Amino acid sequence: MSAQTYKKFENAGSTDLPDKMTIYQDCMNKFNESPISPKRCRILISRLLRLLLNGETFPETEATALFFSISKLFQHPNDSLRQMVYLAIKELSGMSEDVLMATSSIMKDIQNGSDLVKPNAIRSLAYVLDESTAFSAERLLKSAVVSKQPSVSSAALITSLNLLPISETTIKRFANEAQEAIGDLKQFPHSSGANSEYYPNSTFTTQYHALGLVYQLKKNDKMALLKLVKQLSDNGNLLKNQMAKVQLVKLVNDLVNRDNQLFPQFQPILFNWLSNKFESVQIETAKLITSFASSHKNARLVSPDLFASTISTLQGLLTVPRVTSRFAALRILNKISMTSPEKIVICNPELESLINDSNRNISTYAITTLLKTGTAKNISSLISTITKFIHDVSDDFKIIIVDAVRTLSLNFPQEWKSIVKFLIDVLKNSEGGLTFKNSIIEAIFDIVSFVPQSKEVVLENLCDFIEDCEYNEILVRVLHLLGKEGPFTSKPSLYVRHIYNRVVLENSIIRSAAVVALSKFALTKNDSTLKSSIISLLKRISNDQDDEVRDRATIALKLIDFTSADDENSLIAHDLLQSKKFYDLPSLENKLSAYLSSNTDSFSTPFDSASVRKFTEDEVKAMDLKRKQEQVFNNTSEGSRETPIDMSLESTTSIKEQRLDTETYHGASLDQHQEELVATKYADELMNVEEFKDFGSLINSSKIISLTEQEAEFVVSGVKHIFKKHVVFQFNIKNTLTDVALDNVAVVCTSEDAESSKLNETFTLPIDRLMPSIELQCYVAFEKDSDVVMEGFLNNLVFTTRELNPDTQEPYEDDEGFQDEYEIDPIYLNAGDYIESSFIGDFESAFDELPNEEIAVYNIQEDISLQEVIDKLVVNTSCLPLSNTQFAPNDSNSHTLKLFGKSALNGMKVALLIKMIKSSKGIVIKAQGRAEDEELCSDLVNGLM
Amino acid sequence: MGNYFSSMFDRLWGTNKELRILILGLDGAGKTTILYRLQIGEVVTTKPTIGFNVETLSYKNLKLNVWDLGGQTSIRPYWRCYYADTAAVIFVVDSTDKDRMATAAKELHMMLQEEELQDSALLVFANKQDQPGALSASEVSKQLNLVELKDRSWSIVASSAIKGEGISEGLDWLIDVIKEEQL
Ligand SMILES: Nc1nc2c(ncn2[C@@H]2O[C@H](COP(=O)(O)OP(=O)(O)O)[C@@H](O)[C@H]2O)c(=O)[nH]1
Ligand SMILES: [Mg+2]
Repeated sequence: MSAQTYKKFENAGSTDLPDKMTIYQDCMNKFNESPISPKRCRILISRLLRLLLNGETFPETEATALFFSISKLFQHPNDSLRQMVYLAIKELSGMSEDVLMATSSIMKDIQNGSDLVKPNAIRSLAYVLDESTAFSAERLLKSAVVSKQPSVSSAALITSLNLLPISETTIKRFANEAQEAIGDLKQFPHSSGANSEYYPNSTFTTQYHALGLVYQLKKNDKMALLKLVKQLSDNGNLLKNQMAKVQLVKLVNDLVNRDNQLFPQFQPILFNWLSNKFESVQIETAKLITSFASSHKNARLVSPDLFASTISTLQGLLTVPRVTSRFAALRILNKISMTSPEKIVICNPELESLINDSNRNISTYAITTLLKTGTAKNISSLISTITKFIHDVSDDFKIIIVDAVRTLSLNFPQEWKSIVKFLIDVLKNSEGGLTFKNSIIEAIFDIVSFVPQSKEVVLENLCDFIEDCEYNEILVRVLHLLGKEGPFTSKPSLYVRHIYNRVVLENSIIRSAAVVALSKFALTKNDSTLKSSIISLLKRISNDQDDEVRDRATIALKLIDFTSADDENSLIAHDLLQSKKFYDLPSLENKLSAYLSSNTDSFSTPFDSASVRKFTEDEVKAMDLKRKQEQVFNNTSEGSRETPIDMSLESTTSIKEQRLDTETYHGASLDQHQEELVATKYADELMNVEEFKDFGSLINSSKIISLTEQEAEFVVSGVKHIFKKHVVFQFNIKNTLTDVALDNVAVVCTSEDAESSKLNETFTLPIDRLMPSIELQCYVAFEKDSDVVMEGFLNNLVFTTRELNPDTQEPYEDDEGFQDEYEIDPIYLNAGDYIESSFIGDFESAFDELPNEEIAVYNIQEDISLQEVIDKLVVNTSCLPLSNTQFAPNDSNSHTLKLFGKSALNGMKVALLIKMIKSSKGIVIKAQGRAEDEELCSDLVNGLM
Repeated sequence: MGNYFSSMFDRLWGTNKELRILILGLDGAGKTTILYRLQIGEVVTTKPTIGFNVETLSYKNLKLNVWDLGGQTSIRPYWRCYYADTAAVIFVVDSTDKDRMATAAKELHMMLQEEELQDSALLVFANKQDQPGALSASEVSKQLNLVELKDRSWSIVASSAIKGEGISEGLDWLIDVIKEEQL
């Protein structure tokens, strides 16, 4: 006998989603029935939820209809159905209108519902209440917070936290109840009953939720937080919950990052926590200590003992059974390895054994960490280990490894041979997608530009590689590099042959790139045979079937023809064939989009490319290197910037995407890109102000300097702009008050030494009215009587406050406001403001060649670290640190910093060799400067600090 | 004899059958108070209803599914989402609130025009009769223009939810009408 059966819900586990419209119709029918069938409705809601959780959405009208029909299910007292109703309300609240209609019913459940539905009801509150209705839930929520039932209390605490942004005033009144809930060890009601053997009495999660809420309520009150930490850590047994303990560590992290002087007083607690029974507490504590110590101004506050214990805790965690703990510990060590690899060398044996960890995340991290802690001695053995390893991991991991190798090549330029060999090997022989291959190319390009002696070997290998490369993008990049570097090698004709092969064999995109590369060889010095063969190759190409390729070849021929003449055209042609200058891309982007959007004459005025800043190759390299150096810095300080308590629970959208490895370098990060755009924007705005038009072109602008605390009532930052005969201070002023506007906002700058000031204030451009949460600029302009002027200014913000009528957001007519002042930090013009950083491959010979010398010796008696001195010098001089001298050694008390830059006024070079020695009496600095310009040299050397 | 009849009704209506009844009216009229007076027989302290309350109660062997909808201006537009399948509407008026009598009349007539409510019976409670200065039921009836209502069974009953007066009289009338009409 055979039978066929079909059950409607049988394939619930399958990946096919139910049909949206069917579900909608079913819901509308079943939910509006009378009487309703709780079981059917429950199943229907679960199918609806499945849709929603898979990212399906409903248009507002349908979502609202769904919501109303679901609200009708409140008529049925079935608890399981009610729980589903709550889940649905939470999901629909984002799409549907008028969810407040569920409020009364929810509140009734909170008051009289069963213990089963109470927590669900409470949690849904945050989704239906708004500012005007939140207060009506106050009493209910408050009593739920102190409920003896842990799940009810937890739900109320989380809901309060979620309601905080909606109605702060209401939730603020729960502070005492929340505080009480931290210490209250609530037990599940069943814990004394029959099941108590099998279930824990409580997980004490309420403590975690309560602590989270208390922190949010008190986060602006340092004293209250200190008291809280003291109370919770004095009585070590009070917090039972693991997450609550971790939370407490984060709270301390927040405190010490706000006020680093607090660190010493927490040291004993931290010691304790390093050996806490929970691994997560150990990890969080280690993270706190190491990220705190990674900031140089804090490092000296961390006792060596504590740091050593931290490392040994982490070392111990590397061998625990729990994968997540191993991973977390390794991640922290990896971060340390980026700046101070020598501090974790003792972990090398454990790290080496982790290379074979079955978890790929861990093995990859172990390798990248080892690559940092590696010394010149073991690099080649490490490289051979990775060579075996890299072929059987996924692309993501390969990229991480390649990146680590790239950094390695910058740190150990002398090891370039084995590194290049490795990179070329993976480039040619390993499987992988475009992103991966591109990361290898990125690394190889870095080596070519920063390790000049590697150039020819690399180029030859790349020639081989392009014979068989499947990615257009990469081929084009390589061809570009060959064209750029090839003409200056010992055998240019070799490259010409390889490039021409591409013209014969590849598609039009690559042929076009090859034409451009080829044409550059025509300029190879004193090689007329090469030139004529290039010309004949290009002639052949000008019959190509693709018009772009033909055009490029024809233009190249024309340009080459021009170069043989001896006139102005020849120079232009030279420049076009082999350009020495590169556009500042953010500025180009900005100007182009401005050009496109302000089109008044249907583009009959051509775009003015002359107004876009251009850089020489060395400048580009300098910026590139600087960016990479800063990247490492930013990564190491990232830990301290994390929000201390991140508890956006329940929200499906709050899952932050986090990359496995933050050190991966993807060109300029968004932040840096933004910063550059902002800088360009400031410069453009400045140049559009009528009053500054006479000042001529802008020579240099400083970075943005913050002049107040970020939490101040008025947040002010400054930018120094240097012109030929003028200096302009730009003050970005933000009004953070909510109900007050500021009128006639200006900054009064007073020279620190008014008698001998070389700057004459010419005018101030005040801000007429600064509304709440708006940022605007005030400019103060000075005339200077010599090229380089160095001075300090004390600054005062002056303004008239006008109270705002909350209804109109206009100041009250009859209120004249009152004058007020606000002191902000001083601003200093120093030699560095007249300097741009610049790259040079061989610092020593450049230094020796510069004619003028100046030497100065400084004695610093403050107790600061070598690293702090270095950071200050780099910022103050605006020069580029070379040969990795921007990092202070950790095992020695002396250091030599090499800086290179050039005058922003006239491009004259300057090099600084700064030796420093730290002793018990302070730090002695001997600065030796060499420069083309005598005055610049002495200004810079004498104005270092 | 009575038992005999009620079990006959049960059979005719099906034991599962519930009667859906809506309590409507302006905010503060006493709707929520009336609902809980019916359900638990006591006066509860109320807050303005944001949304609705729904209770199932047994009355004279019948299962009533009673919906008390919030009366604030912002909530009135949503009444209509709950009209379907309604056997009867109880409209509650605060007899002391003379200023808003016209508003109450307007809301009442607007509601009764709805297609979905064409077959529902209407019971009006002229509530808060315990208060001095309360309009009598006939005065309220006049103000609400009840005589205009055609094709519909309606009745107005003077009540005090606080004292519990008039409520069961009103409901008894309503149940009788429903039984008659639905039989
Ligand atoms: N004096 C008096 N007060 C009443 C009566 N019914 C309700 N109230 C009061 O009127 C107010 C509003 O009642 P409520 O049931 O919340 O009105 P709803 O907005 O229509 O639900 C409450 O203070 C009740 O105590 C009544 O019959 N007499
Ligand atoms: Mg009410």
